[in-house]
Amino acid sequence: MGAAGSKLEKALGEQFPEGERYFGLENFGNTCYCNSVLQALYFCVPFREQLLEYYLNNKTLTDSEETLLTCLADLFMQISSQKKKTGVIAPKRFVQKLKKQNEIFRSYMHQDAHEFLNYLLNELVDLLEKEARKAKNDTASLSPPENVANGPKNGHPDGAQKEPLVTWVHKNFQGLLTNETRCLQCETVTARDETFLDLSLDIEQNSSITSCLKNFSSTETLNAEDKFFCDKCCSLQEAQKRMKIKKPPQILVIHLKRFKYIEQLSRYKKLSYRVVFPLELKLSNTVEDADAEYSLFAVVVHVGSGPNHGHYVSLVKSHNHWLFFDDENVEMIDESAVQTFFGSAQEYSSNTDHGYILFYEGVDAGSGIPS
Amino acid sequence: MISSSTAAANNNGQTPAGGGLKTYFKTPEGRYKLHYEKTHPAALLHYAHGKTITQVTLAQLKDKPSATAAPTSSNLGVSSGVRSAAARFLGTGNGSRALSFVGGNGGSKSVSGSNRTGLYGASTSNNLPSNSNFDAKGTYLIFNVGDTVFISDLNSQDKDPIKSIHFSNSNPVCHAFDEDSKDGHDLLIGLASGDVYSVSLRQQLQDVGKKLVGAQHYNKDGCVNNSRCNSIAWVPSGDGTFIVAYADGNLYVYEKNKEGSGDPSFPIIKDQTQFSVAHARNSKNPIARWHICEGSVNSIAFSRDGAYIATVGRDGYLRIFDYKSEQLICGGKSYYGALLCCSWSMDGKYILTGGEDDLVQVWSMDDRKIIAWGEGHNSWVSGVAFDSYWSAPNTDGTGENVVYRFGSVGQDTQLLLWDLEMDEIVVPVRRPPGGSPTFSTGSQSSHWESGCPVGTLQPAPRMRDVPKLSPLVAHRVHTEPLSGLLFTPQSILTVCREGQIKIWMRPGFAESQTNSDTLLATSLKDKPLSTGKTSSYRQ
Repeated sequence: MGAAGSKLEKALGEQFPEGERYFGLENFGNTCYCNSVLQALYFCVPFREQLLEYYLNNKTLTDSEETLLTCLADLFMQISSQKKKTGVIAPKRFVQKLKKQNEIFRSYMHQDAHEFLNYLLNELVDLLEKEARKAKNDTASLSPPENVANGPKNGHPDGAQKEPLVTWVHKNFQGLLTNETRCLQCETVTARDETFLDLSLDIEQNSSITSCLKNFSSTETLNAEDKFFCDKCCSLQEAQKRMKIKKPPQILVIHLKRFKYIEQLSRYKKLSYRVVFPLELKLSNTVEDADAEYSLFAVVVHVGSGPNHGHYVSLVKSHNHWLFFDDENVEMIDESAVQTFFGSAQEYSSNTDHGYILFYEGVDAGSGIPS
Repeated sequence: MISSSTAAANNNGQTPAGGGLKTYFKTPEGRYKLHYEKTHPAALLHYAHGKTITQVTLAQLKDKPSATAAPTSSNLGVSSGVRSAAARFLGTGNGSRALSFVGGNGGSKSVSGSNRTGLYGASTSNNLPSNSNFDAKGTYLIFNVGDTVFISDLNSQDKDPIKSIHFSNSNPVCHAFDEDSKDGHDLLIGLASGDVYSVSLRQQLQDVGKKLVGAQHYNKDGCVNNSRCNSIAWVPSGDGTFIVAYADGNLYVYEKNKEGSGDPSFPIIKDQTQFSVAHARNSKNPIARWHICEGSVNSIAFSRDGAYIATVGRDGYLRIFDYKSEQLICGGKSYYGALLCCSWSMDGKYILTGGEDDLVQVWSMDDRKIIAWGEGHNSWVSGVAFDSYWSAPNTDGTGENVVYRFGSVGQDTQLLLWDLEMDEIVVPVRRPPGGSPTFSTGSQSSHWESGCPVGTLQPAPRMRDVPKLSPLVAHRVHTEPLSGLLFTPQSILTVCREGQIKIWMRPGFAESQTNSDTLLATSLKDKPLSTGKTSSYRQ
């Protein structure tokens, strides 16, 4: 373990980023689903910074009980404050808390990394909202401390009137979808907005993320058994439905639906399809033609041929270097190695390492043009 | 826009994934039929997968100089498309040049006597005895799979190659052929290790071994540059000068027959994002280094006259340089992601690029900007080319309605064909006045001078600002992601990453060819008019 760390340090040499830590995470028996997602989140820099800030703000309130949020903040602080630049850390408290709190993750069976990410983010949101409400009620007379929701709450264009709090988890991951339904009888368009923390995309063989996103936003006709109840017509009508992205998130998390329920087999099957993902991406299926631009910074990879077993690893981009995290091990990889995780063009292939969750971060427009 | 491309796909009977592939596809001018396939021996299959991507180069070997026959029209017609380099000899204007290079083709020392009957046809077996009399005239496909370069006879129906050349140290990645080579060395091969070889194709065909023979070795063991050779091209009419594009963002210029330098001593590149050219202090190989960009250069292509070189790479920029003056002329960014391929139109007015945004881009040299985006691929676009042999069915010769036919292949396993009609491109609203991309016959239109000055790169356009094209045809041609396509007078060639090549005969050629072993050259003689017309079109 120590030797591996020094090897990474040697590989990076003088290019080792100032203040950065690359630590593997110990596996407590099938906890790779957790480790791979934690690494991706750790290298989601705005998320990490907010969590560390949360840690510092809550350190003084010693009475706070242990939650998944405090355990995660603790773990991130533990990693970032290590004296050594590389090594291994055991995320023991976090995993214990996770297992205690949710029986799904209690067994030693193979778990789904996306399910874990989803659970974790929603749990963090709940905890932050709870704390913010509590703080509001408790300290209504006092001037509200700045750490209420751990960040300013202004600037949310849509939810301004409503009650829901905008936590920093929302600020990082939440986007807004609008579900437009056009009644083919009266032509009325009904739009319903819904928030998302990640997008789950259906995948096809030999396709790209761009194409999967297009399909996600493509028009679907509701007819026959699946008619739409039009409020204006007051009856079931044929309609056209499409999903558009109204507000693109700062961090775009894309989940590839690689585990598909096959009815004939009455079980899940892993789709090993080759789905290419570019290092840069733009969302053009937005409401405002905004062409929101993103850059890939982490990939959670599922290794294995079936849904009920296998392994998770992650690829992470940090300071222009790509790193490969496999539980305790951390290695540097070339950017071009990312494409070995696209999937297989043929159904039966020796390559079983497939990109499963993609993390893109928003790029601010107006970057300089090289000449 | 999405629906239109889907419609095109459906029209051609797209079969669902896992289903069989159709052996033909329809276009307005008729049916393209799968004529035959070329691949590597099956035993080789699994071993090389995924490591290197197969590319294919078309090479035509002409009559030996000792042959008495003067170059015939068929000889001109079966001009080979040197991949990317676009060094094709077509049409009327090139006759005199063609004569001179045929005369100068006599470098192969081992060749003596003539073997006029020895067109290397379908009947020839694989185990060819070493025969220095064998003149090897014909058209060949050169393609790399794993650690091997294979050579197949385009005109034979044999699926297996006639020759394989193994490389022990590193995998071959790219190759280029120059049919106008003044001495024997006409074939270039670039390796993943950075090594480059030049050889005589004829000499390889005459040898029975599985190694390169008579090769000249450049950048030995990557001593000058140890990154991967991504693309290689002869400089058109460049007297044996060639360019190699490397994965570290550099191009190197080599001259064949020149000695390699032990100490190239090019200065260190201070700013990776800046373009710079350095010349060797001694006159040894490589004679110059062009630093293009940060990250890999994925593909390069010369305009047919050799005046310009286009590069595309990891940073998503297409760049066009004046080769002689070593100046950046223009260029621009993809919608997003890396660009993977580029190709010029025969007249040098347009450049196609394809990349990781699933779009086929049409760049206009007159306008110095992107004039259209082709939408229709469901994955990355890995090969693009203009069909220089195609002519619009109803061209009446007035030349006002100019149509360019081009093709693209992608990792979605599809071949798409497109028509670029200059007066049909919708001019988007909010365009600055005077900036309409109407077709201009002038060499340099003046109305863009204000918009984009020479020597600058343009940022990525917004989706709504670029006119869109829909494909004429979308056909799933292989089961594996594709890596390239080529147009020949008779056919379209598609190649997949894993080394399978399919030859799709053009309408009219398919029927006459399907049941016979007729050589392409023969069929050309039957139809000299049609090819002549096609090739003189749009010169």
